[in-house]
Amino acid sequence: MAEQALRVDGLAKVFGGLAAVDGVSLAVAAGERRVLIGPNGAGKTTLFHCITGTLKPTSGNVALFGRDVTRLAEYSRTALGMGRTFQITNVFPDLTLGENLALAIVGTDRRKWVMHRPVAAYAAVRRQALDSLERVGLEGRADQPAKLVSYGERRQLELALALNTNPKVLFLDEPCAGLSPAERQRISQMIAGLPRDITVLMIEHDMDVALGLADSVTVLHQGRVILEGSPDEVRANSEVRDVYFGHA
Amino acid sequence: MTSAILQAINGVSLAALLFLLASGFTLSFGLMRVVNMAHGAYYLLGGYIGLSIAEKTGSFALALAGGGAAIVVVGYFIDRFLIRRTGENHLAQVLLTVGVAFVLGDVALQIWGGDNLMVPAPAYLKGAVILPGDVYYPKYRFVLIFLGVAVGVLLWLLYKKTQLGAVVRAGVDDREQVNATGINVDRLFVMVSALASFLAGLAGVAGGAFLTLYPGAEWEILVYALVVVIVGGLGSLEGAMIGALIVGLLDAYGRWLLPEFSYFVLFGPIALLMLFRPRGLFGREY
Amino acid sequence: MGQGRLVLILVALAAALALPFAAGPFWTGLVTQMYIFGLLALSVDLLLGHAGLFSLTHASFFAVSAYTVAILQVRYGVPTALAAPAGILMGTALALLFGLAVRTRGVYFILITIAFGYVVWGVAHRWSSFTGGDNGVTNVPFPALGPLAVGSHTQYYYVVLAAIVLCGLGYRVLIRSPFGLALRGIKASETRMQSLGYRTSLHLYAAFALSGALASFAGVLYVYYNKFVNPVAASFPVSVEAALMAIVGGTGTIVGPFLGAAVVLGLRNWVSSFVEMHHAIMGVVFIATVLWAPQGLVGIAARIRARLAKGRDG
Repeated sequence: MAEQALRVDGLAKVFGGLAAVDGVSLAVAAGERRVLIGPNGAGKTTLFHCITGTLKPTSGNVALFGRDVTRLAEYSRTALGMGRTFQITNVFPDLTLGENLALAIVGTDRRKWVMHRPVAAYAAVRRQALDSLERVGLEGRADQPAKLVSYGERRQLELALALNTNPKVLFLDEPCAGLSPAERQRISQMIAGLPRDITVLMIEHDMDVALGLADSVTVLHQGRVILEGSPDEVRANSEVRDVYFGHA
Repeated sequence: MTSAILQAINGVSLAALLFLLASGFTLSFGLMRVVNMAHGAYYLLGGYIGLSIAEKTGSFALALAGGGAAIVVVGYFIDRFLIRRTGENHLAQVLLTVGVAFVLGDVALQIWGGDNLMVPAPAYLKGAVILPGDVYYPKYRFVLIFLGVAVGVLLWLLYKKTQLGAVVRAGVDDREQVNATGINVDRLFVMVSALASFLAGLAGVAGGAFLTLYPGAEWEILVYALVVVIVGGLGSLEGAMIGALIVGLLDAYGRWLLPEFSYFVLFGPIALLMLFRPRGLFGREY
Repeated sequence: MGQGRLVLILVALAAALALPFAAGPFWTGLVTQMYIFGLLALSVDLLLGHAGLFSLTHASFFAVSAYTVAILQVRYGVPTALAAPAGILMGTALALLFGLAVRTRGVYFILITIAFGYVVWGVAHRWSSFTGGDNGVTNVPFPALGPLAVGSHTQYYYVVLAAIVLCGLGYRVLIRSPFGLALRGIKASETRMQSLGYRTSLHLYAAFALSGALASFAGVLYVYYNKFVNPVAASFPVSVEAALMAIVGGTGTIVGPFLGAAVVLGLRNWVSSFVEMHHAIMGVVFIATVLWAPQGLVGIAARIRARLAKGRDG
């Protein structure tokens, strides 16, 4: 049996009486592409926050490749291989695209503590940053401040940042939100082209993108998992249709 | 009566004074997210104005009311024309209000001079009481405690039991909520701000009748008030009460037991708090 | 580095070297002060302009190091070679302690640094048996390293100039390093940095300690210039003015804090010749800066440059 990249047991997050996540358990195999869908308010982003450590869950456990990370801080989980993008773009606006990526590149190793050499002296970092920018379609813009590039381009940068943290499990929160059709294409192709030694969990609203990329789908509704299965099974399921199109 | 108990009373009387100052400061922040570093200057200016009123009219009550009212006016203009322009930029607020405090301090220096002055209080408030064990103790300290408790009770009732208080509490919790209910938020802010200013001015007169007023006093009292607010938690009335007691008692015992190191004693709780509960006893994440 | 910039730097350096001979002892003394307080402002700016932390306690490190040097040299006859490093060490040790404050952010951080600063002032003021109370410690000699002894204010001016040039170069390396970039990342978005693997509180703690060390160095330079130290050196106005100098000059730059120091000290000097209310003047400068020039002189210069450029193209 393939090793479980991620295992979540009975995760719950309660905000003052409202359970945003209400006892979610899931297991993702190494190399799998799992998509999380569900209507607005289903608790998808909150679930991500709890798994990656941005929020502390009220109860439950998270294990990464068999190792319990429930009590670890977010930065420790990143060091162990969790990478993520945010639903609301969270790049560094006053820094250049190159600097944005440099931060991501050295974030998981000891170079972030160097105080006596300029960043510019690290040719390998520069090269990796330029490569990344090319792959997301932002070549030649390395010296532009992030606040001056378009929304869609910042979303691409967001993805590039996550990819540069040496992720073993990648959490993508609506990577295509707010992008033009052409940009969506590019991003989905990028994600589809990711090597299988990276496990991908993705929250996505666009059904076509989601079901096209997924190996399996988890459907969330009101903080609980209501269905897990292959894209076809989910597409055909009437309860899912109700939840999305009928009464919520 | 043992020294330890006397020191406790000393501490509580300082706590009363600090509470007057800290409660306004903490509520201003909790509701309006305003950090007003001129609060100490309000105290000093209020005290000086009360002093002049008391000297001219002979009435302590008038001095208390007048000192408070004068600061309400000063505070209103500073709020409206200066502090409002900084939005929620705390760095800007701190710098701006420190600047205001510097200006007010120098103006006060020009008008009242640099000597230690005392607000004249009526004879029946001054003098000594005789406590068990034949100890003579300044009556005025009990006056301060009474004032602190009275204001504390009034604020508590206002805050917890009235419609207005409920709105303010809701606003401290979630400003969007208050905006949505259609209540005139602007007027609410002006009222809370006026209350804070009044309390600061009142504290200056009350304090100035016992501790003296002098250039520099505005910063010393402000720092104490800040420690109260840090310990108690920004935005919390209970925090201001408990924090004031803690700081007042620590200061009294510190001065008694380790006079040369009394400031260390004040530093201790902050350091401890930093380690275990950075946002204060009743504070919330901001 | 552009040609224009290089020329500007060389001209400034030449002017700095020529100053004592061209302008006389009064200006030499004033400019020495500008260097020293500029360095203090620079230390505050490492946190403010790069890490986004507004510290109002830096006068503490400045004063503790000054007192250490003064007490060692005057009361115990310790030579400069040991007293000066001891000063920096003590100031930095205090910064390591006060660095606890980085467990908070925003308003709490500001208030806590203010409170910490007052504790130091209070100790300097009340522990009179050790610190000399309000009178402080006087008769601090000029620094002397074996045969190399400073003999005059003019000579000391050059020592200070050399010191700040070295500090400036070191600072430049630091802010261009990965560590410096990380600080700017934390300032922009701490949550993002944490998700990229940074233990942000540790980075901020390190920055606080470094900033404290720099402020301590300024304190050492100060006490040899001033020849005495008293509790005023640890007072709140000194911390606030250091922050103001950084803001007036332009945060996030290396020259900004020094320009700010020049403006603030120059202004105070000029104004106090005809009016007694120098605190009020400072207050007005604070208010004016916040309301009209939050980006400081460097920002104003940038705006003028932008407008000139537009004028040329437009």
